[in-house]
Amino acid sequence: MPEIRIRNLRKSFGAATVLDGIGFTVRDKEFVTLLGPSGCGKTTTLMAIAGFQSPDEGVIAVGDEVFVDRSAGVDLPAERRDLGIVFQSYALWPHMTVAQNVGFPLSLRKADKRAARERVAEVLDLVELGGHGDRYPHQLSGGQQQRVALARAIAHPPRVLLLDEPFSNLDAKLRERARDWLKQLQTSLGLTTVFVTHDQDEALAMSDRILVMHGGRILRDGTPEEVYREPGARFVAEFLGQCNFLTGSVAAGPAGSSVLRMPAFPDGITVGAAPRGPEATVAVRPQDIELDGPDAPGVDASVIEAVFLGDHYRYQVRVAGLRIEVHAPHTVACGPARIRIPPGAAVFVD
Amino acid sequence: MTAVDTPVAAGRPRAPASVGQAVVSVLVIGLVVGPFVPLVYSSFRSKPVYLPGGVFSLGGYRTLFADPAYRTAVKNTLLFAVGTTALAVAGGTLLAILCTRTNLPGRRAYGLLLMAPSVIPPLGLIVGWTAIYGQGGYVTQLLSRNLHLPVWNLSSIPGMTVFGAVVTLPVAYLTVRSTLAGTDSSLEDAARSAGAGPLRVIGRITLPMLRPAILNCTVLIFALCLEILGIPLFLGGPSNIDFYASFLYRSWSNSGTPDPPFVSAGAVLLLVVVSLLLVVRARLSGAEQRFVTVGARSGGVHRPLDLGRWRRPASAAIGVFIAVTSVVPLLGLVLMSFVRVLTTLVAPWHLMTSDNWHAVATDPALRRSITDSLLIAVGGGAASVALVAVAALIAHRSRFPLRRLIAPALMYPRAVPGVILGMGFFWTYLMFTPGSLVRNNLWGEAIALCVRNLTLAYVVIQPSLARIGVELDRAGHAAGAGWWTVARRILLPMLRPALLAAFVFMFVTLLGDYDPVVFLQKPGTEILGVTMLQHWSTGVQGPVAALAVLQVVIVAAVLLVAGRALRRVDHA
Ligand SMILES: Nc1ncnc2c1ncn2[C@@H]1O[C@H](COP(=O)(O)OP(=O)(O)OP(=O)(O)O)[C@@H](O)[C@H]1O
Ligand SMILES: [Mg+2]
Repeated sequence: MPEIRIRNLRKSFGAATVLDGIGFTVRDKEFVTLLGPSGCGKTTTLMAIAGFQSPDEGVIAVGDEVFVDRSAGVDLPAERRDLGIVFQSYALWPHMTVAQNVGFPLSLRKADKRAARERVAEVLDLVELGGHGDRYPHQLSGGQQQRVALARAIAHPPRVLLLDEPFSNLDAKLRERARDWLKQLQTSLGLTTVFVTHDQDEALAMSDRILVMHGGRILRDGTPEEVYREPGARFVAEFLGQCNFLTGSVAAGPAGSSVLRMPAFPDGITVGAAPRGPEATVAVRPQDIELDGPDAPGVDASVIEAVFLGDHYRYQVRVAGLRIEVHAPHTVACGPARIRIPPGAAVFVD
Repeated sequence: MTAVDTPVAAGRPRAPASVGQAVVSVLVIGLVVGPFVPLVYSSFRSKPVYLPGGVFSLGGYRTLFADPAYRTAVKNTLLFAVGTTALAVAGGTLLAILCTRTNLPGRRAYGLLLMAPSVIPPLGLIVGWTAIYGQGGYVTQLLSRNLHLPVWNLSSIPGMTVFGAVVTLPVAYLTVRSTLAGTDSSLEDAARSAGAGPLRVIGRITLPMLRPAILNCTVLIFALCLEILGIPLFLGGPSNIDFYASFLYRSWSNSGTPDPPFVSAGAVLLLVVVSLLLVVRARLSGAEQRFVTVGARSGGVHRPLDLGRWRRPASAAIGVFIAVTSVVPLLGLVLMSFVRVLTTLVAPWHLMTSDNWHAVATDPALRRSITDSLLIAVGGGAASVALVAVAALIAHRSRFPLRRLIAPALMYPRAVPGVILGMGFFWTYLMFTPGSLVRNNLWGEAIALCVRNLTLAYVVIQPSLARIGVELDRAGHAAGAGWWTVARRILLPMLRPALLAAFVFMFVTLLGDYDPVVFLQKPGTEILGVTMLQHWSTGVQGPVAALAVLQVVIVAAVLLVAGRALRRVDHA
């Protein structure tokens, strides 16, 4: 499986710029997720790779074949790109049986009849739908349809697998199972995969690398851990789970660290990176903040709301006019309390 | 998701696909636009184009305006169009509301029966009405001769207006009904819970909501009335009342020098007027779109408005209306085909004869008209559906450069008067086809009829195509299929029910249509409609009635079989 290289992709619809210089590389066998809010250009990017949107500018190449190069006037038709795509709606052809759907890409490639039949059976087994070949799409459940769509996408087999929110029509339970199962299949087949979602859990659980998109640009590119722990941009931090943002003045700390000072935290918050200016904003995840009764260490605070959420409590805490959200597994009574932000919990964001 | 105009194929079209697409697009656009060019040209010539020495001139138009018969025809047409439109729109709207929004008994059956005048072959209905309500018709005679009551005159402008309203009422009924089906009935429910009675709800909520739809079908019916040919030819004949289209037809066939420019001039003027009306209508339906999408589609169960003690009387009135306008004339038509003369003085069984049917079975011209019409209906229907299906795919599912012209081109032929399209084809064949390539055989008529009705195939196919999400094509392209392969293996198979429905619609229409052919028919290439017209004008009524009965029977049989087949396809 080859790698995908995308450079400086631009696309506008009238006055609206939808892709504003997208560029990234997907390495061989890698699972890369495009993550972002609705309308940020994920589908447009994916459809540009697939050949259903012509970018105004940019280069797309897979392996050593150039799919799109606007400056050279190259724009390969979708049917010659040899990709596998799973659409959000599955796009199963209702007038064909499951086996005919899956066998369609093979029949176009003039595969030998028997070999094609065997391949269809093999792929259907792979997606755990062996024996369903004679059914029509409307006779299958949503989860089964989704797996047929996947089987069809990997049948020929494709150079690259593209998935556009393939789980969004499944209910929450099924979605989690499908997630694990797809990831396993992708790893065992070694498929180079681009996955589109706006669901952060999905992105974190499945990806080798996450590209966070916003307004037609890529804001952050990294492994799930990197993106989660070092979001870099305020938008990314906020999009991947909840975050508290604190702004104050910065001073250099020991050993290349910094200290952020503000009225609510007069002793400062230790940040594990060198200061970049006199003022800065840090992001702190609610579960990284320590909250306890009035005798605990830290600064004075007051718990104004506590909500029980099963595996943890969600607290709204007031600290010197600031409102901070804290997640903690233990009970803290409403009223006076102490709060502490341990070193390493806060990271700078733009 | 249904993104109708989203281009689907990727990149620049591949050469083989775009060559095929170009052929189909040029064919469709050429067939539709082509005929009007020679028509307009010939209207600006001083002599018919086949005569030598013609120059450019406005003489045709001058002759036309100077002709008092033309001005009378225009006046008659306007009177007829205004009256017919008013009656048809009022009646159609009322019936649509009664059948969809109230607890009228029998509303479901009425919903279907009210459509009858639009599927009964038009000449059949005219002949049936003549048999019953015409000058010598059964009911008319019964009232005047036997009971000495004053009677109406079906051949007067008011008489033809009433008949015109009956024929065009389904247009209004359908438009209003589909708008009602698409509007949220909770708007009306809200008014009821605010304390409004049924009448007030209809007056204050339903009717204002329908205003765009009503305006829209008003313009449409008015345009239809301007071009109506069969009514003045069949019904107006006895009292020498001409409408616009029949004036053109009669001037054409009675003129000393054949094919005079002033007839072309008259056709061009009507073309301009009707095209303007179309523009108005396009604006109006744009407004209607906005109107309809305001309300959410109603999903819940709607409790119909209670008509109270008017339930039964209203239902009975509609029943009588259907009987009087459709059922009785059809029975009259059948009777007429089995008797020697129409009279109430002698019991019909004393006048029984099989002569009319014998004539139909033996007269070569009559027989030919049946076989030719069937041939055109089957072959032309199939060919048109195939052409329109591919053209629709190019229009909505390709990146072919001319694709945006195709949908308007497909809508146009049915929107312009049929006689005018026919005249256009006449000039086209005369000027551009060598010798008698298509002019003197059935091909010429078949092409004119098919082009005229391409629109019908398109309006059936297009909504079904719009319901197929573009992702289904994209999945095909991603699997490696080119445009034609996706069309052939994915889209066309999925459109099968729509293609079948379109074929049936085409068949039924082609069997009854004649407007575009009245200028084209030659001995030896008869079709049903024109043959009936010509025989009727020479006073031959019995065989015409027999032909009309035959038409009705074929149409009914085809609809019955097709209904079954469609239901089966839908279930598959
Ligand atoms: N054909 C089009 N014409 C005009 N604007 C378009 C078109 N297609 C997409 N857009 C715009 O481009 C932007 C990006 O669309 P895109 O479908 O890529 O979003 P997305 O990130 O996939 O969002 P979602 O999560 O909702 O699917 C949107 O603002 C959309 O309105
Ligand atoms: Mg999307």
